[in-house]
Parts: sequence; C-alpha cells; structure tokens
Amino acid sequence: MKHVTLKLKSAVRRLLVKSDGPLTRELLQKPSAFGLGRLPSRTLPDQKTTMTCGFCSIGCGLDVLLKNDEVVGLVPSKAYPVNMGMACPKGWEALTPLKGPGRAMTPLVRRDGQLKTVTWGEALGEMVFRFRAIQEQYGPEAVAWIGSGQLPTEELAFLGAVAKFGLGIVHGDGNTRQCMATAATAYKQSFGFDAPPFTYADFEASDVIVLVGSNLCIAHPILWERICKNPNQPKIVVIDPRATETAMGATHHYAPAPKTDLVLLYAVANWLIAQGKIDQDFISEHTNGFEAFREHVAQFSVERASVATGLPEASIVELAKLIAEGQRVSFWWTMGVNQSHEGVRTAQALINLALMTKNIGRPGTGANSITGQCNAMGSRLFSNTTNLFGGRSFESAEDRAEVAQILGIPVDLVPSKPSLAYDQIIDGILAQRIRALWVIGTNPLHSWINQSHLKDVLARLDCLVVQDLYHDTETARAADILLPAAGWGEKEGTFINSERRISVIKRVVKAPGQALADFNIFRLVAEAFGVDQHFSEWSSPEAVFQILKRLSRGKPCDITGISGYQELDRLGGIQWPLPAGVATGLPEMKERRLFEDGRFFTDDGRANFFFDEPRPLPELTTRRYPLLLLTGRGSSSQWHTQTRTKRSPVLCKLSPQQLHLEISTQDARELGILPNEEVVVSSQRGSLVARAFITPSVKPGQVFLPMHDERVNQLTFAAFDPISRQPAYKASAVRVERGGEIS
Amino acid sequence: MTAGASAAMLGRVEAKEDVRPRRKLPLLSVDALLSEQQTLTAVERFSSLHDAGEVPEKHKIYSELLPLSKPGVGQQYAFEVDLDACTGCKACVAGCHTMNGLDEGETWRGVGLLSGGTAETPAARLVTSSCHHCVEPACMAGCPVQAYEKDPITGIVKHLDDQCFGCQYCTLMCPYDAPKYNKRLGIVRKCDMCSSRLENSEAPACVEACPNGAIAIRVVDQQAVIQASEAQSFLPSTPSPENTLPTTRYKTSKALPANMLAADFYAVKTEHSHPALVVMLTLTQLSVGAFVLGFGLEKLTGRALGSPLAQAALACFLAVLALGASVFHLGRPWLFYRAVLGLRTSWLSREALCFGLFAKFAILHGLLLALPNLAQLPLPSALWIENAARISRVGAALFGTLGVFSSVMVYVATKRAQWQAEETGIRFFGSMLLLGPAAVLAASAAPSETPLAMQDVRALLGLIVGTTLVKLALEAQILAHVRDRRQSVKKRQALLLLGPLRTATGWRFGAALVWGVVFPSMWLLLGTATWPVGVVGPLLLLGLLVGEFAERYLFFCAAPASQMPGALP
Repeated sequence: MKHVTLKLKSAVRRLLVKSDGPLTRELLQKPSAFGLGRLPSRTLPDQKTTMTCGFCSIGCGLDVLLKNDEVVGLVPSKAYPVNMGMACPKGWEALTPLKGPGRAMTPLVRRDGQLKTVTWGEALGEMVFRFRAIQEQYGPEAVAWIGSGQLPTEELAFLGAVAKFGLGIVHGDGNTRQCMATAATAYKQSFGFDAPPFTYADFEASDVIVLVGSNLCIAHPILWERICKNPNQPKIVVIDPRATETAMGATHHYAPAPKTDLVLLYAVANWLIAQGKIDQDFISEHTNGFEAFREHVAQFSVERASVATGLPEASIVELAKLIAEGQRVSFWWTMGVNQSHEGVRTAQALINLALMTKNIGRPGTGANSITGQCNAMGSRLFSNTTNLFGGRSFESAEDRAEVAQILGIPVDLVPSKPSLAYDQIIDGILAQRIRALWVIGTNPLHSWINQSHLKDVLARLDCLVVQDLYHDTETARAADILLPAAGWGEKEGTFINSERRISVIKRVVKAPGQALADFNIFRLVAEAFGVDQHFSEWSSPEAVFQILKRLSRGKPCDITGISGYQELDRLGGIQWPLPAGVATGLPEMKERRLFEDGRFFTDDGRANFFFDEPRPLPELTTRRYPLLLLTGRGSSSQWHTQTRTKRSPVLCKLSPQQLHLEISTQDARELGILPNEEVVVSSQRGSLVARAFITPSVKPGQVFLPMHDERVNQLTFAAFDPISRQPAYKASAVRVERGGEIS
Repeated sequence: MTAGASAAMLGRVEAKEDVRPRRKLPLLSVDALLSEQQTLTAVERFSSLHDAGEVPEKHKIYSELLPLSKPGVGQQYAFEVDLDACTGCKACVAGCHTMNGLDEGETWRGVGLLSGGTAETPAARLVTSSCHHCVEPACMAGCPVQAYEKDPITGIVKHLDDQCFGCQYCTLMCPYDAPKYNKRLGIVRKCDMCSSRLENSEAPACVEACPNGAIAIRVVDQQAVIQASEAQSFLPSTPSPENTLPTTRYKTSKALPANMLAADFYAVKTEHSHPALVVMLTLTQLSVGAFVLGFGLEKLTGRALGSPLAQAALACFLAVLALGASVFHLGRPWLFYRAVLGLRTSWLSREALCFGLFAKFAILHGLLLALPNLAQLPLPSALWIENAARISRVGAALFGTLGVFSSVMVYVATKRAQWQAEETGIRFFGSMLLLGPAAVLAASAAPSETPLAMQDVRALLGLIVGTTLVKLALEAQILAHVRDRRQSVKKRQALLLLGPLRTATGWRFGAALVWGVVFPSMWLLLGTATWPVGVVGPLLLLGLLVGEFAERYLFFCAAPASQMPGALP
C-alpha cells in the first residue's frame, strides 16, 4: 500500500514538476575531450590550445578551449610544468577583460580639448608631425617612452629598436622599473648578469624557505601552492612587517620594523660567520669580496639588529639558526625588498647569505627574486632601454658594433649612452628637456609614486601618446593621441617568467574595432616615420624571435638552441639559457637552475659580495604624520592598476570594492576609530578617505593600503633606490583621523 | 616648415587641422593588419599539437578528495573544507564560474574572511562556501513551486531550473545566501555539487580548481550533522546551523581565537527593497483590512457602515492591484499558477492560495452587491443572492485574514532576527488595522444609503491613531538598538535606518505622525461634524499609505542579510 502511494506521489510530481527543459539544458553537462571531464554542453570544446597567462610572472599555462574557432572557455593547463592544472582567479578570468567595457576601438586625437576619433593614418600622421617637430627643435632626446612588462618580448624588442635606431630616441624605460629594477641590478652586480638562478622545483626541494617582503599567498598564489606541495615539511620563514596571509601560513614569522631588513640580514650574516656556519671553500673558490663583507657585518651584532628591528634577540638568533641548520635553504624576495630605498643592498644581503652558506646552484636553494609582471624578464633582457639588447652595454663600442652587425643597421644609429630611468625621464619632463612622451601598455597616472606631482609634470608635455587596450585609464584620458592596442589573447609573442621560462602567447580572440597588436603598431610607426627600411626583417613576432636568438648568442641568456614557437609550445616553455646544440625535450630539461658548477657570469666567474651601510628611511614619521604607510597587493583577484581586472565582474566580486585602511587595534583605540568607520589618511602630499579595518595583522605605528585604488599613490613619498632607481612605495609618513571628509 | 611655425603648433594648444601639411602615408597596410587581427591563427598554427586526443592528459589524482563509496542509509555527500589548507586564492569561485558555464558575473561560491587574535598572534581564516546541501534545506521547504529536491541517495540539494518561476523566496529562506538569482533567465540557480561530474568519479569544479586540495567531498552521517548543530560547532560569524542543518564541515587543526569576526561584520549594507512585494503586502493588508473592518463593524453595530459596495469595490481593486504586483515580482510571471504547488511546506504557497481565494470571494461579493443594479438580468432569487453575498463576504474576510497571517509567516519562516513573529505580526496586522479603517472612511466618499455616523468616524479614527502609535513604538524601539554594544542584527537595522536609509526613515516617521496621529486627532477634536468625509477620507488613506509604503520599504531594505562570513566589502 505504501509502495503504491509512493508511486502515485512520484507520478503526480512528475506531472506537476518540470525537471527538464531549456533552462535545465543550459547547464546540462556532457563528457568533453581533453581530459576536462563533464562540461556544460554549450561550452564543449572541439579544440584546445595552451598559452601563458598575461598577468603575473609565474607564467601559468592556460588552456584556451575553442568550439568552431570561438573561445568557449579557459582552464588552467594540467600538462604545463609551472602550474600543473592550477590557476588563480585572474588566470581563470584572463579572457574576460578583453570584452569588458572601455576598450579603445579607434585611434583618437585631442582636438579642442576633446579626444576625437580619427583614422590610423591621421593618428600616425599627427604623431610623426609632433614628434618630428619636437625633435627638430629640441633634439632627438626630447622624445621619450615608457613601456611595459606586460608586452611580449618581441614587441618590447621591436619598440626598443624602432624608437632608438629608427626615431633616434635615447630615453625609454618600462614599468618594470617599478617592480624589478632592484633585483636586476642586484643580480647584475653580484652574479655578473641579471640571472635569477632558480627553477620552481626548488620550492619543492627546500627544507628551509625564507620569504622576505613577499606575500606569496596573494601575489603569487600558484607558487605558494608549490611550497604546499613540498614533501620535506619545510620550515617556512616569512620576514614581513605585516602578518600577511603568507605569514599566517608560515611556520616562522618575523616582523621587523619596516625597512630594517638590511640590518637584520647583516646581523644574521654576522652570526653565521661568528658561529662558523659558512662554507669557506665555496667562498674562497667562487666569490670575491667576502673579507670586506665579513668586516662590514662585524659591527651588526644581534643586539644592534634587535634595537633596529624591534625583534627580540632570541628571534634573530633563531632565524640565523634556521638558516644554519637547513640543508637546502632557499631565499625568495619580492616587492618588500625591491621597492625600497636600499633595495639593491637588501637583495644582495640575501644573495650574500646564499653565497656564504653555499645555498646556491643546488636543488632547493638559491637567492631568488620572484618577478612581478608576466614579462618583466623579457623587458629586462630585450627592451633595449637600460641595457643594449641581450644584456649588452650602450657605452661599449664593441657591443654597439656587434648589435649593429647582427641587425644589419649602420652602427651610428645605436646610441652610445643608456636610457634615463623612469624617474629621471619624469625629471627630464619637469626640466623641459623632454617634451613628448609615448606610454605603451602602462598607467603611470595610477601607478607612479607621488601621483599628484606626476600629474603636474605630465601636464607640461607638448605631446602625450598613449597606446593601450582601454581609452579610460587615468593615463589614456590625459593623452593627446591614443593608439588602440590589441591585448593578451589577441596577439602573438613570448613571455619570460620568473624561472627564466620562455613561452608563447597566441591570438585566440579577435581584437575589437581597429585595435592592432602593439607589434603592428610599431610597424606602422616605423613606416610612418620613414624608417621601415631598417626593420624589413622585423616582419612578425616569430621573425623577431629569430633575431633575438642571434642577439643572445654567446650571452648568458643564449637561446640559440630554441628552434621557434612550435618547440616552445610543444615543450611547455623552455628556460634560458639554451645554446645551440643542447638537446631539448629530455625530462631533466624541464626544470633547470643556474650556477650548478659554481661558475657565475662575471668576467672571472666568481660572484661578488656587495654591501653598504644601512640608511634611515627617506621620510621619517613625525608628530604630525606619526604613522608609516605600507602599500601592497590587496587580493589575488586584483592586478596592479586594475586596468584589466576591474572589467571582470567575477574578479570584482572577489575583491573589496571600497578602499580599506588596515590599522592596528592599538592605534585605532588611541585615535578613537571604530570598525568600518570612514577615516581620512593624509600625508604631506595628499589625503584620501578610506574605511578602517581594524586588525592585529598590522603593527602599531603602521597602516596598510592596497595599491589598486588610484588614490593611494597620492600619499606615497617619492624615494628611490639610488642604484636601481626603483621607487620605494612601502614607506611614507601619514596621519589618520576620524571622519569622512578631507578638510 | 620653419622651426617657429612648428613650435607654434606644439604645446597643449591643439594643432589646427587646416595648417598642417600632412605627409601622404603609404598606409595601405593598415587594412591588411586589421584583417590579420581578425584572423585567429593560434589553433591553425599549433593545432598539430593540440588536436583532440593527441595529447592525452593524465587525470589529476583527486581520489583523496572524492568519496570512496556512495552514501548509505542516513548518510549523504557533503563538502569538507580544510581551513588550514585554504590560502584564500579564490580559484574555487572562478573555477566554478567557468566550468559550470555560468553567466557573466554569476557565482555560486564565495570566499569570506574571519579575522581576530591578538597583536602577538593575529589569526585569519579564509572561508570558502557554496550551498551546504543541508539536511533540512530551508530553500526547499520555502519553495512554493517544488523547484527543489533533495536527492534521496546523495543528499545533494538540486534546483530544478525549469520548474522555478523566479519568486526568489529561497534566497530569503536560505540562511547562507546559497541560491543566486539570475536576472537574464528570471530564475534562481545554485550549486548542485557538480552532481553529474561526481556521478562519474570526476571532481566537482571547486575541488578541481583548488590548488591546495582544501575542498573535498565526503560522505557524512546526517545524525552527526544534527549532533554538530546541537553543539553549535559551525563557524564564528555564521548563521546558526540548527535551522537547516548544513552539512559542510570546516576543519582546522588550530583552535580559532574567541574573537574571530567576519571581515564584513561591521559593514552595514542596504538590502534589496523588493518594490513589488512592498506594494503587494501593503495593498493586500489594506484590502483585507477594509473587508474585515467593514464586516466586523457591521456585526458589532448591527448596521451597515458607509457604502458596502464602495468598500468592496475599493478592496477588490486594490486586491487585484496587489496580486498583480506580486505576479510581476516573479522572474517568469506567466507561471504564476504554479505558486500553490508547495502548499504542504511553503508559507508562500499558502499566502498565494489564501490571497487568491480572498480575491475571488471579494470580487464575487462585490459583484453580488452590484447585482440589484442589474435587476433586469435573469438571475436567481434575491434571497439566494443575499446569502451568497454574505457567504462570500465571510469567505473573503476569513481567507484575507489567513492570507495576512500567511504573509507574516512567510517572513517568520526565514528565522531572521529582524523578522520575528511579534514584530512582523504587529507590522502586518497593524497595517490591516490602520489602512482598513482608512479605506472604510475613504469609501464613504461614495454616496450611500447608510452614511457613516459620527461615532463610527470617531471609532475608526481612534483605531487609526492607536494602531499608528503601537507601530511607531515598535519601530522606535528598533532605532534604540543603535546604542547596543554588540553589533547585533537589531543594531545593524538601526544603523541602516539612521544611516543610509535615513531619508526613508524620515518619511516613515513623518508620514505616520502626521497622517496617523496629528491629522486624525485634529479631525477627532475639530471636525468630526464639519469636515467632509468624502474629501478628508481619501486624503487620509493616501497619507497613511505613504507612511506604510515607507515602513514596508524599510522592512526589506533595513533587513541585514543572513550569510556566510563575508570578505572586506
């Protein structure tokens, strides 16, 4: 009887309740190819192609899924050696920003104060006319450019070639100055070449992992996951003034006072030397300058470091012991070190620790800079700005002749001095030596330090050309000429990731309107300026890749052994160096580190110890501005100025939509600030309103703001590392007050 | 060109078009480049490497994250989240979005932040959550169209997209904000634990997307879930589990500090105002009030008050308007008739049924009252008509009152602190007792054989003033919670009412004081004899309606959402 009732019930239910129909079928899953499992039938792919992510430098492989040549989805690539099927939300959403609002569809030229739609011919004509006139009147150096670590290597190289060898421009720099200049300079001095020595497998091979100024969890989530895969139950040591997500996931967290890490690292070095925990043989055979370093650090006692950093002496000794006792210690740093007034020396203090303990050239070791942008390394090696192509020097007549010969251009086209750094270009504009600026793929009016000053400076330009995907970035809105560019996913080229892995990006989406790949914009510029005869070989990104191979021959970054894009694609990227004649494709070629033979790239093959006296913060806190403002990444779903990430509704959902000031419980109590209350944060340079997030993760005396809000750099103090010229974003004196209105 | 001429054209003074000698550029290539930009070469160039099947991919081993066996009797599948393994990268959200093929911006999963601890040992935990596939799903109980089913074997709570008519009541019923409304489709959709993937031993999207294996699918004993709910061991800053018995288990090896709070704990957000529901609730209560009052007073006094026909006409008109509004609140209004399918469990179905019957009786009553005017039609005897009118009136009053009661229960059933029985009851029945008399007064504008007596007007005005004072006292008492030390739901309500919603709060209290207290008192004291009811009655009704609409708007807007711990807003 019960059975019958049940049957009857379900029959009635079937009659009344629709469990199938068009809405159900929208999401109905069917088995798919490519080992992806079941997917909604309308997004079942018939083809798949792998390309490298265009946000950060981890360089994850992303599988673009296509159906009838249209993109139907994107998933992290399982076969790719970097990420092995994982991606952060930015990776998953990598294609969404391309169809977001704000895309620049046509070239624009400012007429009567308004940006007006023009043809490519008109825009380029205007650019030629203006640049020429400025150069005629004020000299070729009166035009400069700012490029981007988001562009593929071939485009950066072409830009560097066209600008310098074609247009006679001398000064160009990239936004990589804001993130990687310190690491590049430190490596160059210490190792003889800008050569991060590691491979990601080192994360999994270490037994002690020291992360300095790096919020890996948020900034490089997939690398943090590689640490989580480490089977050695490693000691994870985080040195960071904030209790970041990474610090909370670490086994040891040391929070020195901001920018006292140099003292701390010297004291650790001193302790290691005093305790004999160093590798004297390696030091004598493979390094220079250790004795001077030993003498220098002798004055850095644990007590001195304790006073400077605010860490207990026992903690400092504990840290030193961890390093001494580790069998495979790896040191990793990111922007906490790079964006500092003494970043180069701090990075080198880490390099020194690795050298003296022989934690280099072995699995699970290294003094390792984790890069910021997807192609910062391509920019460092081949953008032809600070260095002549392939890590050469503009000052060297030999290098200039060699490059001219390789490229088949007259040697007198190659300038004999390197570019000014980003901040010096800005100073040049202020001094009216530079009158026109060409900004490609970056947004200085959001990202540059002490923003109001930059705004004032850029307003003095006679001509600002901006080349970007979007017409509505802070910088694009200030442009006189806007050139619409195709983005990642709409063009080809190669990136070089943190572990020196070169990999391809592909054209899988049609660019909107008249947007063109930056590569082709440079071709048009060369043609418009009538200098295309020098670049006849630069016909496509892959042709340029072949040129770059020639430029790399015999250099530490030699890639003459890579045949081309097909091979890069087939092997999941290839790490440099790969000189001709070395076999690729062997399993041991998948993950390679440098300096396994103890030979460095200096003339004598030895690494150098570099050091300096620590200097006080350029802007000290005062009674009027008693708090130190730290800035950094807000969340894993935001990228830099958010030019792209803010166009993905999913990424927007995953990040705060209001600006929050992280403030310590103690400071909040003293200032009478309530949770979530609006507060005014002011520095000598500007003020902004944020909501207070009271958290014990920041120390009293410090506050934190994420860098993604365009207002944050109105507060920052423009200090620079004197060697790398990298801005020090993470230490400005500010005041915090209750209330939601700026007085 | 001379240097001087070119200099004149530089600077921020825009170059004038006419004076510029333009170089004829050989820009023929632009078209070619543009068309190149529209050619997708990636697949063609690299297809030999990525053709289907040519690169066989190893399945990632998820076995440790997937259940080994099907759930037995008294068991079901559940999410298990390892808080220690979660690093807050949020790939689970993006992976779910992509692999389920959701619309732009549609997400079924969220990641919140719990933060606390001390300066020495700060603590933070990221909390990823989606549907908890509760043992007693409130969404399913509340659904008026039976669009939810709990799989008898797996325990997965599935939403039947084609059955849903988009009333979004489940989004109010779910304490964890799991069902999400999709505006394009006019329906709710939600996580089904990727049941079709799971059935085939494939990892659900979130499990597969998590780089750190923090999300797993486990078989749980439902009894254990009930016990866990008794111990209140869910998560801090999270709605109590006893209501729906959520099955997700959050595990951590480190004890959470006692002061863990959601990152959005102190943020107060205005909620959706549901304008159609504001109209529906207010007007049904007015309509029912008019009927019940008219009926009740007639019984009490033994005579008709004002014009029964006008009252019935007004009530019917507003009832139809209200029900219309409620239908247009649906994402797929043409399926309104399904609303009664959930009668067994859903107060929304009961509300729909009661108001449906109320409207039918009310209209019938109105028609029957109108009948004597249609005497020429071939109709049954007068007595029959009179009886039918009486019965229909009783029916309307009965089902109307039951309808209002169901309305109250619709919100009480959500078990939200701001919609408790007393408060909601006073609000809704208060509106009935406030707007009902006003409607009777307004309807007496119509010519009638039995005009309102002076004492009738006094009684009705007294009722209005009394009810208004009770309602205002209740609402003022909510405002007083702004001084609470704890960030309770009531305090959030008060903060909203006095903060972002202060304009509406002003209107609410202003209108209620003027039209519910001052105006009727003046009428009582000065004008019962002289003020023309036909003009003043409708005016009073309109004035009171303004106040009640504002009250109901705030009822929804100042109702802090019940949800999992949120991230920084």
